[in-house]
Amino acid sequence: MIAEKEPRIIITPNFGELLVQNDYVFRFENGILGFEDLKDYILVSDEDTEPFKWLIAIEAPEIGFPILSPFFIDQTYKYGRDYEGEENVPFVIITLGGGDITANLKAPVILNVETQKGEQVILPSEKYSPNHILKLNSEVK
Amino acid sequence: MLVLSRKIGEVITVGSSVKVTVLSYDRGIVRLGIEAPKSIPVHRKEVHDKIVEMNKQAAKTEFNAFKNAINLADVNFKKQQTGKNSVLNAMIHSNKEK
Repeated sequence: MIAEKEPRIIITPNFGELLVQNDYVFRFENGILGFEDLKDYILVSDEDTEPFKWLIAIEAPEIGFPILSPFFIDQTYKYGRDYEGEENVPFVIITLGGGDITANLKAPVILNVETQKGEQVILPSEKYSPNHILKLNSEVK
Repeated sequence: MLVLSRKIGEVITVGSSVKVTVLSYDRGIVRLGIEAPKSIPVHRKEVHDKIVEMNKQAAKTEFNAFKNAINLADVNFKKQQTGKNSVLNAMIHSNKEK
């Protein structure tokens, strides 16, 4: 578990002042690819963008990733035998670009809600795309 | 860059935990077998680079732009959740400072 600390407040461009409660903090020992120096992220849920959630870097609050449960996209999504336990909750990072909303099914972020550790893994499967276009009306049922 | 010549079946070690074996060579394609501990992820560079590129694009997503995009796309998620999500949803609720 994350060591108990006094709650802190970070200033984020997207959410203004954000109270960092340790219950929502996940430690990424290896960072997120491209952001290896940032280790601690807070999981933020905002009703205006539900069911998407946000991972905000505590050390650099201008860095924040919109994420979504992959099961909204593919109910049979598989993310590796190492993460089968109920405590491992997968999310995929969402990107806005070129008029599309895409999901990175190839490299999910897996949050362990017991240890509060997070990890981005690259799946070997060729069937998962790093920029899967969300066809929201038809796909999400 | 260290440059080494190897024959088919010969091995290179990287540290004491990584072994790279040259398996075959055929029409310009080298097949390598790589043994590494789980803590050292091994990927084709273009896959790794693509993930980095996607992450960098996602990292500075602006909240309002995102909200508008998902509204335009008319996201209509059913409230049903899988078991795993309900575990998490029980744990988190909005912690946005209003």
